[in-house]
Amino acid sequence: MIARDLAAQKEGWRYTPAAILTGPDFKPAGVPERILPLAGRVLCPIGFHRAALVNGRWEAKHAVLKLPDGVTVEPLTEASGVEEFLNRPAPEDLPLAKTASAARDGFVVRVARHVHADRPIHLVHISEASSCAESSQARVLVVLEPGATAELVEETLSFGDAPSWKNVRSQIVLGEGAFLRHHRVVREGAQGRLTTALEVSLASRARYESHALNLGGLFAREDLRVRLEGEGAECHLNGLALLGGSEFADHHSIVEHIAVGGITRQLYKAVIDDKARYVFDGLISVKPGAQKTDAQVYNKNLLLSEDARVNTNPEFKILADDVSCKHGGAVGQLSLEALFYLRSRGIGADEARRLLVYAFGSEMVDRVALEPLKLAIEGALHGRMPEENL
Amino acid sequence: MLKITNLHAKVGEKAILKGLSLTVNPGEVHAIMGPNGSGKSTLSYVLAGRPGYTVTDGTAEYEGKDLLTMDPEIRAREGVFLAFQYPVEIPGVSNKYFLKAAYNAQRKHRGEPEMDAGAFLKFIKEKAKSVEMDPSFLNRSVNEGFSGGEKKRNEILQLAVLEPRLALLDETDSGLDIDALKVVAGGVNKMRDAKRAFVVVTHYQRLLDYIVPDFVHVLSGGRIVKSGGKELALELEKKGYGWIEEKVAA
Repeated sequence: MIARDLAAQKEGWRYTPAAILTGPDFKPAGVPERILPLAGRVLCPIGFHRAALVNGRWEAKHAVLKLPDGVTVEPLTEASGVEEFLNRPAPEDLPLAKTASAARDGFVVRVARHVHADRPIHLVHISEASSCAESSQARVLVVLEPGATAELVEETLSFGDAPSWKNVRSQIVLGEGAFLRHHRVVREGAQGRLTTALEVSLASRARYESHALNLGGLFAREDLRVRLEGEGAECHLNGLALLGGSEFADHHSIVEHIAVGGITRQLYKAVIDDKARYVFDGLISVKPGAQKTDAQVYNKNLLLSEDARVNTNPEFKILADDVSCKHGGAVGQLSLEALFYLRSRGIGADEARRLLVYAFGSEMVDRVALEPLKLAIEGALHGRMPEENL
Repeated sequence: MLKITNLHAKVGEKAILKGLSLTVNPGEVHAIMGPNGSGKSTLSYVLAGRPGYTVTDGTAEYEGKDLLTMDPEIRAREGVFLAFQYPVEIPGVSNKYFLKAAYNAQRKHRGEPEMDAGAFLKFIKEKAKSVEMDPSFLNRSVNEGFSGGEKKRNEILQLAVLEPRLALLDETDSGLDIDALKVVAGGVNKMRDAKRAFVVVTHYQRLLDYIVPDFVHVLSGGRIVKSGGKELALELEKKGYGWIEEKVAA
């Protein structure tokens, strides 16, 4: 079924090695024999609200939810009154999202009108080690009513030597003036595959800030669809991928400006080492009538080895005439001049390289306002530094 | 301190230095002057160890050791410093962090303990003051968005922090107005002492009004063709480089 879905996805998958998904004979993941603690395995500290899906199923033992009035975090199986959202069909061109629509479990997060979620909400997707290739499906629904605000950390992880594949369909609905800060951290294992489709809709003056942070994993294909439906809606899309070995990551996004005065700021960066590959495809589509749109999409890449590869395509489709749109893509290597400059001051070659890689990525880390997460990302960035000599 | 003998070097396939010899003793200030293309910058880069510059013959001894086989970072840790003609911008690395990494690398090399962050900050603020640099520059990315003068001042700040035994100044005067030139020269003069040597590479005599050299050498066609005292610089200023080149050719 999934192989057929993938075969249908030709456009937009030109640079995506779908064989990594179709190769193994994936079986639906079961419940693990033992529920292992999350401590030491997840990024975010105790103190955040937390819920977890293990192999695509809500795990009550992992839930730490002392939620204030007006904030709910529930398993999909128990949530009611959200059919209106859940019944919305997935975009035609994202058949994997259609597959995930049938998921039996997931997260439903709701924040009521004018309520501010007191602490960040940490949602964990985890694939536990298994003896055979396993896949799981999940859905995520986040609804912020008008004027509500929340911070979300979504983390995906996988363990073990057998192939695993998580396929997630997410929907985020932001009411008028709502604000969501969304961190999506990918920390998949050497056999971890992840496909996500995230649809975000914004009413007037709503704001969506996202940080797509890929810190490793065999394969991640992430589709993002943002619709700025109300006047003056705003999205800030940040991305950082740190890839090495034979890892692959792919960020595809389409931002639609439908109403007047929408703002988009998109900047994705990738550091690509060894034989790793990265794909960026970012389209901003300005619909007729979406005047005064102010949008930017940029992608910058740093290649650290001869075999590293990147395909970048920042793009606009503009059907309004009074807009400001800028885009750009860049692919570069470490500056030999800068390396020599650092070395001429006594800084060793390895450290100089590390410093320059860190300098490239640190801009994106600095944008993460959530302190404990920022520290973890900084650590990951340091851990991903190239080690070999010049 | 520095003994260069019959140095030949090429950049890519092009021979630039063709038998250069020079001896620099502690406490001395040597000026190397010469027309464009004479090999002044190549000499600086070869001594600092820039990749892409190949030594084909000759030697350079620094404090009795073979300078040319050392990695650039080792030369720096051993006390050789090059003030760049075109300092490099490094977005994302703060000046403060950069100076600390450089300073501690040197201390570690000498087997001394690293200086902690608090003490170091105090130390570099003093140094910034000595080169009349606003402390806000310490928090900015290395040279990013600095004016030409600010970049050169930043080189002199690094010089002041790292306190090298042998400082090579490559066209430090280029792009400086007279006020900035005075500040930069002042920074250098404060560091002159009996143990430290300077090699000042310059096209114009102007800088030498402020950093007064003990010796002046004229570089032409990749060799030193004339040496003298500071009065040689004045003569060059008056007559240009043409007369020396003609003499050499004849």
